[in-house]
Amino acid sequence: MTLQTVIDLVLGGISLGGIYALVAFALSLSLATTHVLNVAHGTFMVLGAALATLLFRFAPIGWPLAVLILVLAFAALGLFFEAAFVRPFAAKSPEQILVGSILVTFGFALTVEALLGYGWARWVDPQPAFSLAFPFARVTVLGVAVSGTRLTILLAAAAAITGFHLFLRRTPLGRAVRAVAQNYAGAVILGVNPRRVSVVIYLAGIVATAGAGVLLALAIPLEPYSGLRLTLVAMTIVVIGGVGSLPGALLGGGLLGMAEVLTAYTLGSVWSPVVSLLVFFSVLVVRPEGLWGRRA
Amino acid sequence: MGAPGLIRGAAVLALVAAVAIPLVGTRDLVTATFFTFLYIVLALNYDILGGFLGYMNLGQGAFFGLAAYVTVLLLNGGRLDALGPADMPAAILIAVVVTAAVAFGFAYPLFRLSGAYFAMATFSMVLLVRHLILNLSDWTGGSYGVYVNPRHYLSLPVAYTAGLALLLASIALNRAIAKSRLGLAATAIRESELAASTIGLDLFRVKRRVLVLSALPSALAGGVFGLQAGYIDVDAALGVDKTLLPVIMALMGGSGRVAGPVVGGLLVRAIDVVLKNYLHLAVPALAVYGLILLGIGLLLPEGVLNAAGRRLRWAARPS
Repeated sequence: MTLQTVIDLVLGGISLGGIYALVAFALSLSLATTHVLNVAHGTFMVLGAALATLLFRFAPIGWPLAVLILVLAFAALGLFFEAAFVRPFAAKSPEQILVGSILVTFGFALTVEALLGYGWARWVDPQPAFSLAFPFARVTVLGVAVSGTRLTILLAAAAAITGFHLFLRRTPLGRAVRAVAQNYAGAVILGVNPRRVSVVIYLAGIVATAGAGVLLALAIPLEPYSGLRLTLVAMTIVVIGGVGSLPGALLGGGLLGMAEVLTAYTLGSVWSPVVSLLVFFSVLVVRPEGLWGRRA
Repeated sequence: MGAPGLIRGAAVLALVAAVAIPLVGTRDLVTATFFTFLYIVLALNYDILGGFLGYMNLGQGAFFGLAAYVTVLLLNGGRLDALGPADMPAAILIAVVVTAAVAFGFAYPLFRLSGAYFAMATFSMVLLVRHLILNLSDWTGGSYGVYVNPRHYLSLPVAYTAGLALLLASIALNRAIAKSRLGLAATAIRESELAASTIGLDLFRVKRRVLVLSALPSALAGGVFGLQAGYIDVDAALGVDKTLLPVIMALMGGSGRVAGPVVGGLLVRAIDVVLKNYLHLAVPALAVYGLILLGIGLLLPEGVLNAAGRRLRWAARPS
């Protein structure tokens, strides 16, 4: 194994881990603030990748406009999703929210994925696959050549995660989000409006998740039915990293990303899902309280 | 006639219909009814965990699919030929034991979790079995699937009878659990894990026993399914329908009561058969299931029977 291979593998693992961490953090914020377990989370990644593929393949509008369309489309979808599938649970107990939200979001995911797969196969491509091929050149950093695509993914994911972090730490609304996540009743007594928090979390979360789907499609093609598997990846990271914990999400995402990339390199990519599932079950047995020490 | 009398009358009618269908029905109808039996068995098994223990198992299909594969691969391997005609029951029996052992093993990581995390982790059990079968293609045929040797093919009348017997046994199992110490312990855990542990219950052992028990009929159903189908692949044996429909059925009928999964199963299967065989919809059936699931979650999260029961109790309440 040459130095170049090592660098490629590490960059591949970390950039994949960055995407996973972003997605997992968005999922865990929505879980912590609204108790809704969004099984359709990965579906939004698939939708992001699908819309981006459609735009870049068929609409010669250039990437700034395409990005604007993507953000607006998923902001609208986030608002709709929150109003239709999150708000109805607002006044219920956490157990009721859990069962109800699993049913509703699972149903949403199945319907969307089935329709997407069916529609895409019928009108666009009989073999549905969402991938973006940008001619990113290899970049030379400190004398080593690194993949431009991977670097772009890593920088974009890092920027999004930093944005999330600054929003939560530095803005009044971010403080309200953290308050609701920490103690719902206490936050409401102090005058925080939980509706506003929920709207913001789903709006930002779904835009970020769709964006992560676009980034992932730069590296590997997604399929209409990838959504449930991606939700599971995000859930895995939330379980091993701890709910609402950014360091936990980064650590879990990095661990899973590296494990998948190394498995793909040594055993072949078909074994990546098996290894990430085994990592998940092993962490549960060895450290059920999560890697970051907080009980999930 | 009160609600229990109504259910008893309906049960007798359903049993008469189940016996009459192979005598008068078309082959399509018999096949559809056979699958209905298997699905309701899975739904009843799901509810042992979901209804009594309050843990949502989205991976019931893993036990079904694993047992189907083990049964078919054992018979195809030819190692059981020495047993003569007893090889088919022996293969199914081994598959049940293997599945029970797998359920026993999965209990360790799974019951570290509860609530939403438990539900999602059980779903990853299906994915793990699925990926392993796809990847170990030298043994399992991978994505090409495996054919059952015609010698071992289970004819429809035999499979139908086995399915019906399995359904009745599953109903009896759920009723027995409901009345047993184990069922009481499970219900205590559902209501409050803290309270259950303070009265001296070993929570993990109760949970593990319930999980293993719930896997047994599913494994039997998987074995019968594999031999009757004549060909299995990961989509047939471990498809989303095998793992999700039982959950939908139990929740739709009413979780936590024996009749719930049965009523829900009949409803979902009726919708399914009408959708696929009569309506010829332009959209995939999965999308329609998704919408049904969504509707139940928003409108009737406690299920048809529980909602009806609550209304009856409400009406009967002395003012």
